[in-house]
Amino acid sequence: MKISSREQNGAVILEPKGSLMGGDETEALHGQVRDLVTNNKKKVVINLAKVDWVNSAGLGALLSCLATARRNSGELKLANLTEKIQSLITITRLSTIFDTYDSVEQAVASFK
Amino acid sequence: MPADRVIRKRDAIIIPSSQKYLRAVDDYLERKLRRAGLDRSLVADLAISVSEAVNNAIQHGNKGDPSKKVTVRCALENRRVTIEIEDQGAGFDPAALPNPLEEANLLKEVGRGIFIVKKLVDELSFTPAVGGAGMVVRLVKFLSAAGGK
Repeated sequence: MKISSREQNGAVILEPKGSLMGGDETEALHGQVRDLVTNNKKKVVINLAKVDWVNSAGLGALLSCLATARRNSGELKLANLTEKIQSLITITRLSTIFDTYDSVEQAVASFK
Repeated sequence: MPADRVIRKRDAIIIPSSQKYLRAVDDYLERKLRRAGLDRSLVADLAISVSEAVNNAIQHGNKGDPSKKVTVRCALENRRVTIEIEDQGAGFDPAALPNPLEEANLLKEVGRGIFIVKKLVDELSFTPAVGGAGMVVRLVKFLSAAGGK
């Protein structure tokens, strides 16, 4: 899994590509979020447009990202969920936990 | 069989109990299912389900013991895909798994694997392995006339 990043209107956009299925690669995403929020980059969007598969380990990693962001007074938003990922987040009731948006622009605009 | 060796057979792959071999299982399954003409969405459901069951076999079945193996068998016949994941551990009680939808469990980073499998496949069963220690998790997905292929 590759993770690129860029900044947009004061927010950092992380763009993983591939599958979030656990292991070192999934941990790398959490590590990037941790590095950002502990280095005063408190507004983070994970763009999931190019993530095709997520399993429970991937959902766990996203929850770790959210918990780490909140613990460091940061905010984390998810954007561009594929139909498959949206379905998993809905059936696991994590749609009540994550802030999700149809586009990166909407996610960035949602930060106060 | 050396502890770090993956064995590939016509209808099965056998891996040591380590998550670093999950990709080998994924590659085996995707190649087999794609070759059979299954559509991408169906392959995704099965790949996610198998990743959950194999993770479960490694962590909870074999307790991460690399000398113990996980066998994944895949068969396609009569418009159904049957995948078996067999470990060499002491087994576990699937009925005792906590409900990940309960408020107290929602923020937990683990504990959703089997729940997700139940949602993605048509049949899920847990049976003791024949002739020795271990458990077999059997997943079945029926192929619809229109969308399965």
